[in-house]
Amino acid sequence: MHPSLHQIALVIAVFLLPLPLPAKLSTGEDADTALQYWLWEEAGIAFRLTQRLPDQTRAFFAARGFDQAARERVALACVFQSEFQNTAGNDSPPVEYDLTEWRVHSTQGTRPLLVREAWQTVWADYALPESAAIAFEWSLLPTRQRYEAKDYNWGMTAYGLPPGSMFDLEFRWSRGGEHYTRRIDGIRCPPDVHPEPE
Amino acid sequence: MFIPNPSDEPMPYRVLATALVLCLLATGSGLAAQMSGDPPRPLEKPIPAPGFTLEDMDGTTHRLEDHGGRVVVVSFWATWCPPCREEMPSMERAWQALKEHDIVMLAVNVGEDADTIFAFTGDYPVSFPLPMDRDSSVLKAWPVRGLPTTFVIDKQGRIVYRVIGGRDWSSPELLQMLIDLQNR
Repeated sequence: MHPSLHQIALVIAVFLLPLPLPAKLSTGEDADTALQYWLWEEAGIAFRLTQRLPDQTRAFFAARGFDQAARERVALACVFQSEFQNTAGNDSPPVEYDLTEWRVHSTQGTRPLLVREAWQTVWADYALPESAAIAFEWSLLPTRQRYEAKDYNWGMTAYGLPPGSMFDLEFRWSRGGEHYTRRIDGIRCPPDVHPEPE
Repeated sequence: MFIPNPSDEPMPYRVLATALVLCLLATGSGLAAQMSGDPPRPLEKPIPAPGFTLEDMDGTTHRLEDHGGRVVVVSFWATWCPPCREEMPSMERAWQALKEHDIVMLAVNVGEDADTIFAFTGDYPVSFPLPMDRDSSVLKAWPVRGLPTTFVIDKQGRIVYRVIGGRDWSSPELLQMLIDLQNR
């Protein structure tokens, strides 16, 4: 017996329904930098971490007026390029997170991330130019954020571990009163290497 | 359960296969399609837009309060911010379409100097004003936590939409949303 067009249309419609996706962790090499990334997708959010070599961070902050001591302080703090996006549509409640609730698990114990407010204490001992301090604050992923449909931020996150360290990240978000806690194991801080052009 | 026979029903089978491929593509990387052109949801409680007076790199003064009675798009951005750079060309296309509707667009640069912004406009030419918030004091008076953040202000001077991250501002849906707000 052959399927009717109605039956085929029904099958297509079922596949096109916006069903919630199961959690999915992807890892690999970033297409632009060949550095390692971790991407978590679940329940209308996408969260991605991409390694940033200390040299990338040194260069970025040198161009923003950081002196050598200040840029070494941040470059060696295990910095990742981070992206958090609400991938759901307007029919879903907003997504919220608070980075102070996230935890870094490593052989050195459990610790919070180095968020904007923590860095303000660090920079109290450095004489950062005003423009450098502004660039630093706004180049970090916001400590707290609320995303409507398709909203997203890119920003750096710092984990305060030596280059090359391994850690597990426990991260949280909420949507419409529902709280999610997830964990990505085996993230590696970017090593302090100095690649030469081939 | 039915099993379609491709040799008997070639067209529907191909339709089904195509639909499945499209489904797989649609559930791929969540960060691949960041530049949405979909209209945002309006704020539940519009709030008054904080005023500002800022100069651009040419020394021209821009006062938000001078644009009462018109829809104003205010974006906060920086040259080093990748999503800010990504959405700039779409903002320029939007501006070209919106200025004849008397809609205002102001992209407030945060924390940088005229030389930096001038160099940026060599790579990203835009014709709408780029006021400079050198000490970020204006930014801190607005509900901004990350860059870029863009606000739409209605003719009563209230923030009615807030968008975080880059968008395709030249999408027909977003353009129509702004024009409808101006004509309301």
